[in-house]
Amino acid sequence: MKPPPRLGLLVTCAALLPVALHAQDKRLQFTVGGVAGYEIVQSHFGQVNDRFTGLLLGAEGVLISDRLMVRVRYGEGRMNPSAGSNTAAREVVEGEAFFGVRATPWLSIWAGPSARAYTIDDSAERWLIWTVRATARGTLLPGRMQTFVELWGAASGNVGNPPIKAGGRGASGGLEARLGDANFWGRLGYRIESTHAEGLRETVETLTLSVIYGLPQ
Amino acid sequence: MNRLLAAGLTVCALLVPGVARAQSASALLDQGVRAYSVREYDGGAWLLRRALAVEGANALSNAEAARALVYLTATEVARNQRDSALVAARRLIVLDPRYRPDERTFPPQVIAVYQEARRSAPSVSIRASGDTAIRPGSEAFVVRLGSSTSPEVSAAVTNADGRVVRTLFTGTLRDSVDLRWNGLDASGNPPPPGRYAIIVSPRRGGATASGGGWTLRLPLELARPSVDTTPLPPGPPDSLFRPERGNTSGAARALVPGVVAGVAIVLIPKLVATDERASNARLVVGGAVTIAGVAAFLSKRPGQRIPANERYNRNLRENWQRNVAEISRRNADRQRQSRLIIRPGAPSLVTSETP
Repeated sequence: MKPPPRLGLLVTCAALLPVALHAQDKRLQFTVGGVAGYEIVQSHFGQVNDRFTGLLLGAEGVLISDRLMVRVRYGEGRMNPSAGSNTAAREVVEGEAFFGVRATPWLSIWAGPSARAYTIDDSAERWLIWTVRATARGTLLPGRMQTFVELWGAASGNVGNPPIKAGGRGASGGLEARLGDANFWGRLGYRIESTHAEGLRETVETLTLSVIYGLPQ
Repeated sequence: MNRLLAAGLTVCALLVPGVARAQSASALLDQGVRAYSVREYDGGAWLLRRALAVEGANALSNAEAARALVYLTATEVARNQRDSALVAARRLIVLDPRYRPDERTFPPQVIAVYQEARRSAPSVSIRASGDTAIRPGSEAFVVRLGSSTSPEVSAAVTNADGRVVRTLFTGTLRDSVDLRWNGLDASGNPPPPGRYAIIVSPRRGGATASGGGWTLRLPLELARPSVDTTPLPPGPPDSLFRPERGNTSGAARALVPGVVAGVAIVLIPKLVATDERASNARLVVGGAVTIAGVAAFLSKRPGQRIPANERYNRNLRENWQRNVAEISRRNADRQRQSRLIIRPGAPSLVTSETP
């Protein structure tokens, strides 16, 4: 069963935007943004190696209250096999929700689930990984440009139905720059995730471009 | 017995002047009158002059000052100090032109000196209504200036240094005129509390009947009840200002995160996915972050102007200056609206004949 095309994305954006605009001038801060990514998936199942590439569109938002934070992200797209492969294309839907604590002004610790689902013809492959993350931020030009690096490891996870135990780790990093004098920011990011289960390994790399309203955290 | 009392008074008055200074003007007057009555004229003259010299809130009332002056006249006559007696009598005439010494109390010599002073004294008088509280600028302190002739005079408020604070009147004084002072100086500001005087003097070398110059002086004490004002905010501390020129540590703080993050983005995929060959996307992002770090370093290199910090500091200073100006304006308004208390003292006359 195919996921409803772009419906989740629209719902996420519609839900995040008014909350973000309302929260900007209160004690709670909220950032919301749209993400476009070019994704490369390398899938290994036994002796079978597949490579997919495709465009991913999504949305993300962060709610910040003093030291506590909540971060959500949603994305969906279509992964096409590389030329010459006889594998079918995949629809992909991924999302994550994390609770975070700002340990220091430059370091945040996050925990929460990260999910990814592929739809291949009529079957589906779902990964659910509970992760712990650390994000370090550095300011290059105050109020204008900053950078970040994030590392994560899986605490637990599963894949498939019936579920089998899964694990993984990943990292991301990038550059954020303010766009003019408005409170819009652009982000160039790179993300890599490697998840594995019995006989199955997937590595997902994503090059992302985001536009974010509010100060990114 | 009288001699003993007189000796006691003299000892009290002359040997313990500090005690006398601390006494009120009224007590000094009473002691001076008592000294006159027991013929201790030297001590009496000293006590009466001390009583008349007191200014401000503790000064003698006009009636008390008149009493002190008539006794001082009599004392100086008794001491054979005719000139001093004339000066005291003229002061009495200025203070209260209608005053008449009691012929049953004072000997004919005193009455004669008084009459002579009357003939030779300038025919001007000044009279204030007593302690007055006014709102500077909107209310007025009134002093009546009188004369039986029509001299050309000028009247001004002066401060303790004799500098003119405000000119009140210039012209011919016919019969009487009310001098009205609104409590402001020539520039329209309330003067600070302290001792002032209204000085009346003749113009064009205005001469007295005997041909000498004269100056009529009404001492004033200005006081202001304390007004609740807002203290001015201190200037922003140095810690709030940002450096306006790049320095080594600032440049390093901009460079290090960019280079570290850039290198990390390039290398981390090898740790995360050891068996996988990562794409070149990481090089794009890692390179961009590193270049941004280097660009940030160059923009903050030592000696380089930092316009954003200059703007920030300028705003900080201007905000503080605006606050100070606004609070100063409000404080000035409150000061202006508070009442000014004016306490007139006993007027005095100085003539060119004054010894």
